[in-house]
Amino acid sequence: MIEFMFALAIGILFGIGVFQLLRRDLIKAAIGFAILFSAINLFFVAAGAFEGDFAPYVSNVEAGRQTSDPLVQALILTAIVVSFGSFSLVLGFVNIISRRYDTIDSNDITKLKH
Amino acid sequence: MELLIITAVPFLLAVMLALPAVRSWLDKSTQTLLSSLVMAALFVWLLTLSPRLQAAPTFIQSFDWVPSLGISLSFYLDGLSLLFALIITGIGALIFFYTGYYFEDGAENNRFMIWLSSFAGAMLAVVLSGNLLMMFIAWELTSITSFMLIGFKGEKDSAAREGAFKALFVTGAGALALIIGIVMLGVATGQILYPDAGITLVADIDSILKAKSLAQHDWYTLFAVLIMLGGFTKSAQFPFHFWLPGAMSAPTPASAYLHSATMVKAGIYLFARLSPVLYQNELWTSTLLTVGLLTMLIGAYFAVKQNDLKGLLAYSTVSKLGAIVAMIGLPDQNGLKAAFVGIIAHALYKSALFLVAGTIDHATGTRAIDRLGGLRQRMPAMFFVTVISALSMAGTPFLLGFVAKEVLLEAMLRYTASWTQLVMLVTVFSTAFTAMAAYMLIYDIFLGKPRHKIHFHQPPSLISLSPLLLSILSLCLGFLLEALILPLLRLAVPKAFKLYLFAGFNDIFLLSLAVLATGFILFLLRKPLIARITFPVSCDLVYREILAYIRWAGATVLHTQSGFVRYYLAIILGAVAAVLIASGTLSTVTAGQRLLPTDISVTITDLAKIFMLFLTVAAGVLTVVVREHVKAAIAYGVIGYAIGVIFLIDHAPDVALVQLLVETMATVLIIIMLGRIRAGIRLKMISGLWTGRHDYNLGILRDLGISIVIGLAVFVFALIALQNRPGRDSIAQWHLENTKVVNTEDVVGAIVADFRGTDTLLEIAVFTTAALGVLTLLARGRQTGGAFVPQSVQPTALHEFDEDVVDEIQDATSLSTPFTRSISYIVLPIAILIGIAQILYGGLGPGDGFTAGVTIGLAVSLWYIVFGYYEAKRQLPWFRPELIVRLGLVIAITNAVFPILIGKGFMGHVQFDKALGVYDLVGSFGLHITSSLIFEIAIAITVMGGLGIIIEAIAYPTARLNGRQENADTGQDGESEKA
Repeated sequence: MIEFMFALAIGILFGIGVFQLLRRDLIKAAIGFAILFSAINLFFVAAGAFEGDFAPYVSNVEAGRQTSDPLVQALILTAIVVSFGSFSLVLGFVNIISRRYDTIDSNDITKLKH
Repeated sequence: MELLIITAVPFLLAVMLALPAVRSWLDKSTQTLLSSLVMAALFVWLLTLSPRLQAAPTFIQSFDWVPSLGISLSFYLDGLSLLFALIITGIGALIFFYTGYYFEDGAENNRFMIWLSSFAGAMLAVVLSGNLLMMFIAWELTSITSFMLIGFKGEKDSAAREGAFKALFVTGAGALALIIGIVMLGVATGQILYPDAGITLVADIDSILKAKSLAQHDWYTLFAVLIMLGGFTKSAQFPFHFWLPGAMSAPTPASAYLHSATMVKAGIYLFARLSPVLYQNELWTSTLLTVGLLTMLIGAYFAVKQNDLKGLLAYSTVSKLGAIVAMIGLPDQNGLKAAFVGIIAHALYKSALFLVAGTIDHATGTRAIDRLGGLRQRMPAMFFVTVISALSMAGTPFLLGFVAKEVLLEAMLRYTASWTQLVMLVTVFSTAFTAMAAYMLIYDIFLGKPRHKIHFHQPPSLISLSPLLLSILSLCLGFLLEALILPLLRLAVPKAFKLYLFAGFNDIFLLSLAVLATGFILFLLRKPLIARITFPVSCDLVYREILAYIRWAGATVLHTQSGFVRYYLAIILGAVAAVLIASGTLSTVTAGQRLLPTDISVTITDLAKIFMLFLTVAAGVLTVVVREHVKAAIAYGVIGYAIGVIFLIDHAPDVALVQLLVETMATVLIIIMLGRIRAGIRLKMISGLWTGRHDYNLGILRDLGISIVIGLAVFVFALIALQNRPGRDSIAQWHLENTKVVNTEDVVGAIVADFRGTDTLLEIAVFTTAALGVLTLLARGRQTGGAFVPQSVQPTALHEFDEDVVDEIQDATSLSTPFTRSISYIVLPIAILIGIAQILYGGLGPGDGFTAGVTIGLAVSLWYIVFGYYEAKRQLPWFRPELIVRLGLVIAITNAVFPILIGKGFMGHVQFDKALGVYDLVGSFGLHITSSLIFEIAIAITVMGGLGIIIEAIAYPTARLNGRQENADTGQDGESEKA
């Protein structure tokens, strides 16, 4: 049941992100980009090899408690920061585009065509 | 080893000439003299290798290159390659020397020498390769260097650009045919295999030459034609000959070297190289013979019509190349002797004539034959060179060219076929026209009266040295056949043969004299004759038609390009969606999986998770439907927070902490950025978003459809992945059990800083790169003299801005109240303390270098929001992000490399506290001083610095100054007035 809900939420978030990217508004496209990252991070945590009822600490392990999967967590920990880095790059692009073309409507940005 | 060194030396010479130190220390003539001596040394070295060939006919050296593919760097020396290599190095030495006096500008000379020596290396590699694939690479390198040399003056001269492109286009197209031919030949001889295990690419020349009955192979026609196409284009054979006259826009030393002595003979080398295995087929011999004869005729015929001195030489080169190709095409390899003598003779006289043309051009500034004349007194040395070389070209007794023409006529006379008479006629006709061109060179340029008044300036006297030497060789070598030419030829020609300077008054000698006489008569009749020379089809015209067609095709294709990236994205994703549905992938993958939950019981934590998931989806929908960007940004923040809470419920406290901090940061960043985009722009976007454009209804349905299918696919993928998780045998279990080894309580922290430390090191480097990307995007044109932004920028008064910009600035600064300012003052030190605590005690619980860096970064960004850019810069002088990033990366890399020194390997775990004997002391504070701790500090510093760069770049005030400037370089700061 919970897997289904997770998958559903991930699918919907991904769809929203794609939709935002396809629209004209560049600021919303940037937000859509970030939503794609969120969906992927969410998927990673949900897709841990196993679930547990305790945080992955050595003391919990030594006490024989079932901890959650630490590996996926470590992977996303860095992924979150890096995706923030690329998100800020996207924001930088939107910023510079808005200054250079005086618009944030991607349909109005036609100077690159020729 | 010798052959490898010989091939590599010219390349090394090119690299050396390109070094700034060499360019500034050695003057023009020293550079050329040095290069010339290097080539001469290579020539001598090659000569010393020839005794080895007398012992064994081939000399092979091989080194591993790509062993897994069976490609080796192998070199192959036999008589044929030796002959070519000697021409390349010998003529090269003389032409390199000449170049130093041809160019007047030292920098130009240096640039030319770099390309010329690169070419020499590539050409040597062509003839010394022991492997057809390696030869092909070198072959292409010669085309590229030739392109650079033809287009040497391309910056100013459009003809040079056009000529360079034409040569590259024709030879490049031929090379495409050649590589297919080579691969087919390799497959046919079993040298290129595609076994299941891997690909073997050994197009070893030695083995190919030993292949039997290749002429009867099923693919013979295909690979023979393809290889011939490659050779014909390279050696300027009809109908591809037109690129060679176009290549005459190269500086003359390049024309002399590439387009007469060496590169254009690469095709001939290829034919001669493969002839032993390919000649036993009518197709090979008759095609080479026909094309060669046609080229010989057309070249000789057109040469006399040229008014450009170099054009004349180019067409006569085409003619001679045709003659050599025809010789190679004679049945049973009977013409090889004639071909090789022809190659030597032609290389000597034609490069001498080219150098004369270059010298005349240098001295008079023109190459037009009808403007020149009477240069005999002014340039006696050049006159001597021209007389000798042109007479050698005409085949006058007893120069080297005479020997070449004798053997040519002899080979043709021996050729018996149904069309022998025609072949003979063509040969005589062409040689007569060549003789006519030779007489024209002597008479029209040096004798007679000057036809135009030309400005003459005497070139440096040493410029004559190289052409003089070349012409003396043409003069003497005929008499030294026995001593110098014959030993070389005996190595290259498989059959026994004889060679005489004068074979007696036989039919060949009489024919030869007749040719010379005919040439002289033609010379006397040249005025009316030249006027009548026409040719119905111009190959150059065909080439232009082809180019025009390509341009038309390009323009047509361009019409299908909208230029809107989001349409491309829609097409890509739409195609993916269509394929997913149409191919049945979606239904196949889902087959056998239970998609709908069967068990709908939920625990109370699940309920909490489901609630948070609902919140993310609802906020996601909100980001789409709300109009104002600020609201969308806040809705996005809600998604991030809800996901953070899910991480928390899911027993991932470290991730939850980072997620909450980073999402805060991201939301802050969007809002800062919104403040930097003019309200008018945003308003226009918002008002036009749901109404307006005519494509709106259809477009929104299209995007909706694509998104739904993609979302559905992701849903199915995620569901199947989640339902098939590996469980406890995953490697994660290993991490859980081994974390205590590194003295850490937090398993996630241990993985980040220790087990997968290299990964983390790269991630922070990536983060820094992204931050630098933002900086370069937004800070372009802002840097002054290396400093990031001048501290003493005078704020521009507000009234200089457009009204809406003023609103915008006041909008952005409305956060600056006494309350927010006090908060900022308090928050920063607290954030720094929290950061330090998180680093030091990160091993014990949630929090690590990343969270510490982001925490401090958040506090700093609060300053930038509250105080504005300049005030924040002024009040936080220690916050120099670009320095902080460098410090962090240096610490991280040092910490990663240090363990290697003490034998623990890259990023090994080092316990400094134990080594220093303070383990118990610091341990009593709950601390462990290890390499992980230092790495966490480095991560924190790097992330903080990276965030700082991003914040500074995005918060930097740039508004349109009355719409005039894009970047307000003078800077503006409404905030500082208020603060």
